[in-house]
Amino acid sequence: MSRVLVAMSGGVDSSLAAALLVEQGHDVVGVTMKTFCYSATPGHGKTCCGLDGIADARRVAVSLGIPHFVFDVEEDFERDVIEDFVAEYAVGRTPNPCVRCNGYTKFGGLLDRGRALGCDTIASGHYARALHEPDGSVLLRAVDRDKDQSYFLWGLPPGLLPRLHFPLGALTKPEVRARARALRLATADKPESQEICFVPTGDYRDLLVKRLGPRHPALESGPLVDVNGDILGEHRGYAGFTVGQRKGLGGGFVEPMFVLEIRPETREVVVGPRDALGRDRVTLSELNWLSAEPKVGDRVGVQLRHRAPEVDGVVIEAGGSLTLELAHPVAAVTPGQSAVVFDGERVLGGGRILSASGRRPPQTLPSPSAPRRTADPAPRP
Amino acid sequence: MTPIYLDHAATSPLRTEVREAMQPYLHESFGNPSSVHRWGRAASAALDEARATCAAALGARPGEIVFTRGGTESDNLAVMGRVARLRADGLEPTVVISAVEHKAVLESAEHACARGAGTLVVLGVTASGEVDLDRLGRAFERGHVLASIMWVNNETGMLLPLARVAERVREAGGTLHTDAVQALGKVPVSVDEPGVDLLTVTGHKIYGPKGAGLLYVRAGTALSPLLHGGGQERGLRPGTQDVAGAVGLAVALDLAVREQAQEAIRLQALRDDLEARVRATVADARINGAAAPRAPHVSSVAIPGVDGAALVARLDLDGVAASGGSACNSGASAGSHVIAALYGSDDPYATVRFSLGRATGTGDVERAAGVLAAAVASLRGGSA
Repeated sequence: MSRVLVAMSGGVDSSLAAALLVEQGHDVVGVTMKTFCYSATPGHGKTCCGLDGIADARRVAVSLGIPHFVFDVEEDFERDVIEDFVAEYAVGRTPNPCVRCNGYTKFGGLLDRGRALGCDTIASGHYARALHEPDGSVLLRAVDRDKDQSYFLWGLPPGLLPRLHFPLGALTKPEVRARARALRLATADKPESQEICFVPTGDYRDLLVKRLGPRHPALESGPLVDVNGDILGEHRGYAGFTVGQRKGLGGGFVEPMFVLEIRPETREVVVGPRDALGRDRVTLSELNWLSAEPKVGDRVGVQLRHRAPEVDGVVIEAGGSLTLELAHPVAAVTPGQSAVVFDGERVLGGGRILSASGRRPPQTLPSPSAPRRTADPAPRP
Repeated sequence: MTPIYLDHAATSPLRTEVREAMQPYLHESFGNPSSVHRWGRAASAALDEARATCAAALGARPGEIVFTRGGTESDNLAVMGRVARLRADGLEPTVVISAVEHKAVLESAEHACARGAGTLVVLGVTASGEVDLDRLGRAFERGHVLASIMWVNNETGMLLPLARVAERVREAGGTLHTDAVQALGKVPVSVDEPGVDLLTVTGHKIYGPKGAGLLYVRAGTALSPLLHGGGQERGLRPGTQDVAGAVGLAVALDLAVREQAQEAIRLQALRDDLEARVRATVADARINGAAAPRAPHVSSVAIPGVDGAALVARLDLDGVAASGGSACNSGASAGSHVIAALYGSDDPYATVRFSLGRATGTGDVERAAGVLAAAVASLRGGSA
């Protein structure tokens, strides 16, 4: 019987993951990362939004008869997630804070902490699969493609992968709920978290104003221009926009208009019709590989947004950054978002979208409707 | 193997004598002590009896005992209540505390002095337990002083030089509060020796109930209440008294004081044994506050190059319950203000606090030292 560290957020997924490991006879240790605090009333004490999650995780751990510990990673979270989030919007990009949190904050320190607690294996409630074979370990998409969270895991420290285990990788969300109810877990009917945890109001602009100051160029009004540079109107700060976004551009256009590009140096937000959104060449930076790095000429799949369909592509440049030529143009390739590279079911790794080029009418449209105004938050596993 | 509890400075189990004494007041004698009828009289008599017992244990008079709901509340009442009273009397309060006070004193002093309501002076403390008394002396030039200096520090067991502080405060005509929560039962405590005006006691660190405490208020020391709504506890702590809690606190306090001298000798021998074993097995360990006079129940072990939170978790998995710094703040492991005051804010050591109690025996200390040595070796990259 080996000792397993299970990362518990206080949600139903990680609760069931812990319960399944206990059922399987492992010696399970629950761990919750305390990531974020906000002041309930400015200048007065601290209230932790994460404390409810911590309390739920502890309740489940006690009911399962396993130890549970809380590790304070607020400083790491502040530096790696919140500061990055603000810095990205400041330069006109759209970050994925949940990817940063998973890669850096939640899993980053788990290998050391696991070792400290005598745990051979690290488990979480993510919908993904880790396959361990004699010639190495691979990260795979979840069996339930609707819930698949492998998109959020490309940034994992590669050294962690051989020790990872995802007990929910072969289950669907309804199955998870049903089993959690059957086991009478306290979190069985807890709703999914939908907002970015450090933006509890859902409006990230307040955070940017607080961190950058209201006079920051990203928050100052600027010109709304078309592809020819003609001024169509004014916007209230480019940090409020995401490439591919339709809403918030004001009315009065003959056909629906979308954000095509954000130019922080001139504060211009370039808009155009849907046809102008397509891009078939994308360059990724800040790369992280969980398997052998793809080489020029390799055919891969790439997912450019959470819940977006995978697109086929060919590697045309590799090294410090990675450039892919896509099999067809894709709408709303958004700088700052994660691009995850697959070989079939297997996650090879990924990076952040640095730039996109090759304008052609897109064959895939922003789906299901217009892209969301903020980065999609991950359900917290 | 049975886990070992070495976190008595966080809280302690209820003594059988205490539980038995409390029992009637949870059931048949449930009355409100303010009621005139027989149920009320029975409760009121028990409360008087408890008050007298507590007063005797501290060398005080019964009228000087104000029952509260614990140490934090007593600290708040002493500090904020005294500052509020001074301001109501038209005086300019100066609050002088040490840098190693419990957060209940530290933060209530900050709160009391916020927005110009008073001047806060924080006295530095050295690792050998010396307090900056010159700075205390200068504080009296500013106006009326409330000094709040703890008797025994909760994170390290260090004794602060309360007698010398008391002398200065008395000479200058100030008011002295002390948080004696960690001192009771471990060192001799009396309100007249060294002479304090306000003294905080809580039940749960001395095998009494949680949520039961008291503030000793020397006759003539005027306070403003923090709560309003009834005349209980001389108007200083309104609200129906917790009779069972007060009775439990009284029994616990009485036993703690009676058994103090003998128990202190036993605890000190155990602590010295623990520290000798730790020094022998973890060569680079430091005992925080070892150069200062200390109460006998706390051993604050500092170890370089390990993650303190992970170490405490590992000890728990291996059957030893200890704590990092103090046990407050759910989830927080931000650096301790106490260790920062004594050793600097960039101190590279992680601290584990072992605190011994009535149930601790020689075998426990031996096992704890062994578990600690193995855990440290493992955290430093040995086999998991």
